[in-house]
Amino acid sequence: MGFTPINDAGEPVNFCVFDLRRGQTEGQELDKILFFYPNDVSLSTQLSVIGLSEGLITFTRIFSPNAPCEVIEAEMHSHVFYEAEPDVWMVLIVEKHDDSDKIWRMDSLREVLKEVHSLFVMFNGSIRALVDKEPTGGLVRTHLYYFMMDFLSAFEKRSTLEYCCWDFSAGKKLQLPNFSDSLKERGTFQMLAMGRESALEVESLVKVIESCAGYTKCFTMVLFQDLVVSTNLSPVDSVSLFVYAVLRLTPHALSAASSWSYSHKGSAEPLIENSDAHGQSFNSHDASSLRNGSYSVLRPLQRGKWFKGEDGFLLTDIWGLDVNSSALKSPVMWLNQTEEKMYMLAYQHRGLTAIVLIPVSYVMGEQGIAKVKQQILETASVKISKVEEKLSRAWGGENAYHVSGYRYLLVDGDTCVSRATPPGKVTTLTKESLVAMNKLREEVDVEKCGAKWNNKSSLCENDLEICLRARNNAWLIARLTGGKELYMVVEKANETLLYASEAVEKFSERYCDGAFSLN
Amino acid sequence: MSSHSNGEKVEQLGRQLLIEQLIAGKASGDEEFGVEREDCNLEEEDVDSDCNTEPSDMIKESSSSIRNNFNVDEVEPRWSPSSSGYAGERGSTSGGDEINEDEGGRSEIHEVAKDDAYRPHEQWLSGKRGGDEDDASISWRKRKKHFFILSYSGKPVYSRYGDEHKLAGFSATLQAIISFVENKGDRVKLVRAGRHQIVFLVKGPLHLVCISCTGEKFEALKGQLELLYSQMIVILTKSVNRCFEKNPKFDMTSLLGGTDAVFSSLIHSFSWNPATFLHAYSCIRIPIAVRQAASAILLDVASSGILFALLICKDKVITLVGAQKASLHPDDILLLANFIMSSESFRTSESFSPICLPKYNPMAFLYAYVHYFDIDTYLILLTTRSDDFYHLKDSRMQIENVLLKSNVLSEVQKSLVDGGLHIEDLPSQVRPSHSVDSVGSTAKGFVGIGGPAGLWHFMYKSIYLEQYVSSEFSPPINSLKQQKRLFRAYQNLYITMHDRESGPHKTQFRRDDSYVLLCWVTQDFELYAAFDPLADKALAIKVCNRICQWVKDVENEVFLQGASPFSW
Repeated sequence: MGFTPINDAGEPVNFCVFDLRRGQTEGQELDKILFFYPNDVSLSTQLSVIGLSEGLITFTRIFSPNAPCEVIEAEMHSHVFYEAEPDVWMVLIVEKHDDSDKIWRMDSLREVLKEVHSLFVMFNGSIRALVDKEPTGGLVRTHLYYFMMDFLSAFEKRSTLEYCCWDFSAGKKLQLPNFSDSLKERGTFQMLAMGRESALEVESLVKVIESCAGYTKCFTMVLFQDLVVSTNLSPVDSVSLFVYAVLRLTPHALSAASSWSYSHKGSAEPLIENSDAHGQSFNSHDASSLRNGSYSVLRPLQRGKWFKGEDGFLLTDIWGLDVNSSALKSPVMWLNQTEEKMYMLAYQHRGLTAIVLIPVSYVMGEQGIAKVKQQILETASVKISKVEEKLSRAWGGENAYHVSGYRYLLVDGDTCVSRATPPGKVTTLTKESLVAMNKLREEVDVEKCGAKWNNKSSLCENDLEICLRARNNAWLIARLTGGKELYMVVEKANETLLYASEAVEKFSERYCDGAFSLN
Repeated sequence: MSSHSNGEKVEQLGRQLLIEQLIAGKASGDEEFGVEREDCNLEEEDVDSDCNTEPSDMIKESSSSIRNNFNVDEVEPRWSPSSSGYAGERGSTSGGDEINEDEGGRSEIHEVAKDDAYRPHEQWLSGKRGGDEDDASISWRKRKKHFFILSYSGKPVYSRYGDEHKLAGFSATLQAIISFVENKGDRVKLVRAGRHQIVFLVKGPLHLVCISCTGEKFEALKGQLELLYSQMIVILTKSVNRCFEKNPKFDMTSLLGGTDAVFSSLIHSFSWNPATFLHAYSCIRIPIAVRQAASAILLDVASSGILFALLICKDKVITLVGAQKASLHPDDILLLANFIMSSESFRTSESFSPICLPKYNPMAFLYAYVHYFDIDTYLILLTTRSDDFYHLKDSRMQIENVLLKSNVLSEVQKSLVDGGLHIEDLPSQVRPSHSVDSVGSTAKGFVGIGGPAGLWHFMYKSIYLEQYVSSEFSPPINSLKQQKRLFRAYQNLYITMHDRESGPHKTQFRRDDSYVLLCWVTQDFELYAAFDPLADKALAIKVCNRICQWVKDVENEVFLQGASPFSW
């Protein structure tokens, strides 16, 4: 059997969103499709992908009614399923290849789907609500289309010549998390480690900021560079806001965006432009509505749309202009935890970004927001710059969390916080070690999943220790205890198991408050 | 097709997939999904034969003997040495993976597996369970591990549970899934849904599927499907493919009639016999002189045109010899022994049956002369000649005489009672015992439970000999259920060590709520050991070293030396 590409476009990645409640009569199957990437794939291919997915969801329910199809592994492709909302499915199809970088971990791919969904919901509310709002599907499709394309553009593989000759219509490939990311954990956020004194300062800063808002129900997340310093949001909301901040708001994100804008001379983003040029083939019946812009579309992930105002507040025209004042409208988002609609204010001073979320129902529109901004400038800005100064003095740079001799990932499942060896240091590991670690993590994923199904309550009691001396003599270690996970690669180590255990013990004592120590 | 609503749903799904396929413009025609029962049996097929041993004719012979085998208990006329020894559908004992009770909760079916918690594996004689079930039955859906064989036109050939005829619709759906993905130029291997895994294996015109929620790894389940397929080759040879070339709708069930017990018993062994994943065989532990005596007489007779001679007790080899340059793969030994042990008629009289060794030559039949010396011990003489019955019978009598004279059979019986390796007997170190105690207080805590340092069990595989030895089960691994759990833990360990992409690895220490497992893979051997979950790491390592030394000390008793590569 010869290899044929998964779709007519030859794209090694397919990504679709579909709603099983739609298009239930024969001949109406197209109605199910809410989004399909790449969008220039023929309708029959799109239908066949959705058909297989739906067929297997139905089929697996025979045996596993509560947890239908999660993964299809074929010889050349992996299909990852995620039921984002009841009957709303996201399916990601990736090509695989042992000899290249196409070695995946299913759970990490599913995390990408979870991430894009929670970001979408954060700005647009649920997919189901949009479907219900306009049953023809035009509204939800338009929203999903722009959102997903903006999101996926973050995964585009960049060549070294990216900024001078990026061909918009060809050679774009999505670079999804693969084995080389086996010491990273999506769906978590990273925190800055601080001394006690700094922590107290930050705490008092948060109080000052919140008093400026004047409401007890507001939330604050403070970041230093790309690390969280403080958050009082729920873990899930913290993760979503963190992901957004690191993508678009932090100093690093802003500078990346400005260099991007420069190189693109302000043009629209390539993925979108491409699609406009070729027309929307994925849903021909409402393609015209997508093009003629009959829906007002929110594109919070669009690049180069945020900039820092003179007063230190971050500004954007993503939410449009206020009709009365013709000033920029303040960003609005939904909290996952309380399903409350919030205004989002972001103030930045050098490396420090403070994001304040204020319930929309509590503020008198843009005027109210302006007042809060004024308050922050008057009472908190000095403190912010003091804290920033303190943090940047203590900041060890991007390799601050490197522990020599170890390549590690530390995850706290309860708080969704992770810490890991800096990416630059992970790249010193051999491919062999990373592939083996990828496999080990897959095994632990299955183990965790098994614990979930066997006894839902004991998930965090799952206690596991694996020390594996791999073919290339690297030690691969996985430890799970009390809801915390530690993964470690130690290359060039002594061959005895006791040596490896000791290494973990030392690390645990020094960096994890003894969480993984046996004694 | 069942009239149940759920059955309809499945059928609907099959149709739906077909529709989708048609939309994609790649459908290969209705007949692919056709499940109409058309009785076409092999005798009516004009099968070409270009193989020396005429395997296709052998299929005829084999199949006719299968169909006749329901009367195998009758006295066999001396002039017709054709009993192939199939037991047919026999009763309803069990021991496999039963109903899954944790899902849904309110099942009327209760955990059946507990029934057999203390039933020894040897008493396993199986027919099909839940023979009246189909895919609409709740009990059927809750079975923990299904196995299916179907033809590429979607006809059911074998199902572990339920009536194949009633499962025609379900079978067509499985087939639809496989061909749907094939039409995209790919091949489906695995579908995962919660605790369930659906594993697919395509072997020419035959498709094998396992649906399991036992927590076993994909690689393990795939290996089991491979063995299931090979077991079928044992019965039919690979030339059965030609029947499908002639007629895509060929109905294979007629060829396999009465072999349910063979498959059921093999599937059962997937939960207790390490040979199914270690790809090694095990020997019964007997004094070296006894084994040498047995080997000598087998070697004597084997020189007279016998391809392989095996003396086996249950699933353990006493000795085996092979003609020059012929070598016997451990998987073939496993499948051969399973075939013989699961077919009741072999026990009742001497038999001469066409049989295929898939690793030796999947295209051709050999002839097996099988004779039980006592309830556990049997002799297999394999030849390429179909007219060798009387010669082999004479050889068997010669062998029997020698075995009786040299007390081999009684030694084997003695070993069966108490011959294995017991962890309690693990020789202590040369060092005085108090030095061990001084390493940690845990050492004392384990006195009385299992072996030293909390050792519960071990398996040792000699890579060169392709043989393994495992310790006898002792407390706290008492019940079959506990043994099965440990078996699966070993199986998972084996698979992580032998990962296709990044393995084979060298050492693994693994501690969870149930065990400490230690695995050590070298060029010469592989060691798998299970300890109490609280066992001390340093002590456990020391114990592993002692096990290796112990096995080396007794290797002449537990392994058949010089048997590999089976050439004399």
